[in-house]
Amino acid sequence: MDWLEDELRRALAREDPPDGFAERVMARSARGPSGARRWLAAAAMVVVAAGAAGAWRQHQGYEAKREMMLALRLASTPINRIQSEVRGITQ
Amino acid sequence: MKRLLIFACLALAAMAAPQQFQLNLDSVAAKASEHVDVSLNASTLQFAAKFLDANDPDEAKVKKLLVGIEGIYVRHFNFKSAGAWSQADLEPVRAQLHGPEWSKIVGTGSEDGEKAEVWLRTSGNKSVGVAIVATQPKEITVVNIAGNIDLETLSELGGHFGVPKVKPADKPKKEE
Repeated sequence: MDWLEDELRRALAREDPPDGFAERVMARSARGPSGARRWLAAAAMVVVAAGAAGAWRQHQGYEAKREMMLALRLASTPINRIQSEVRGITQ
Repeated sequence: MKRLLIFACLALAAMAAPQQFQLNLDSVAAKASEHVDVSLNASTLQFAAKFLDANDPDEAKVKKLLVGIEGIYVRHFNFKSAGAWSQADLEPVRAQLHGPEWSKIVGTGSEDGEKAEVWLRTSGNKSVGVAIVATQPKEITVVNIAGNIDLETLSELGGHFGVPKVKPADKPKKEE
């Protein structure tokens, strides 16, 4: 089993990063996301905003429709009653 | 420039299409247990009409009815008990309907205390609005529909959308 222990020791041995690795990582993180990623994020935001605006508009539309139906219901009830009374008299 | 200004003022006035009489019923609202206040101008009605389903026969009928309507204004009040309001409370509204542009086309009353009046507003030979004043012992409804409305079609909405269809035999029984 010595060969296995040797292999494991070699594989798990501490290894120093190449020269300048830390500097490169710090420089990359300071630059922020790449241009493509920035555009992608902006596009995603536009899609989300458009979706939210569409949903809000639809909500307003259904609310306006509900109010309109309520108004027509209240208006039609007396008209319907008058019509039935007039028909009742003429019959 | 002057003409343009006059045209702009007329266009704005037409767009606004206000209600045709003041629904000044604050005194009634103060006595009511519940009230409904709906004011829909032409642009709101057009917007709402876009959400009507043309494949639904009832909603298609409403869509047809809305053609020519410039505004719907409704005040509806419910009262806990009969006698909570008096006909004098409606005088501010009725006084406006006695103007020359309005003519009463029908008025009904029953022994149950139900009354309903329909007034038509005309301009030239054209009907440009309707006013409805309907009262019951515990209920008041005042409606102004601005524009040209087909009352027959409006009446046909009875039995749809939760509107009870009233038949002569269905007249509500007198309250004990």
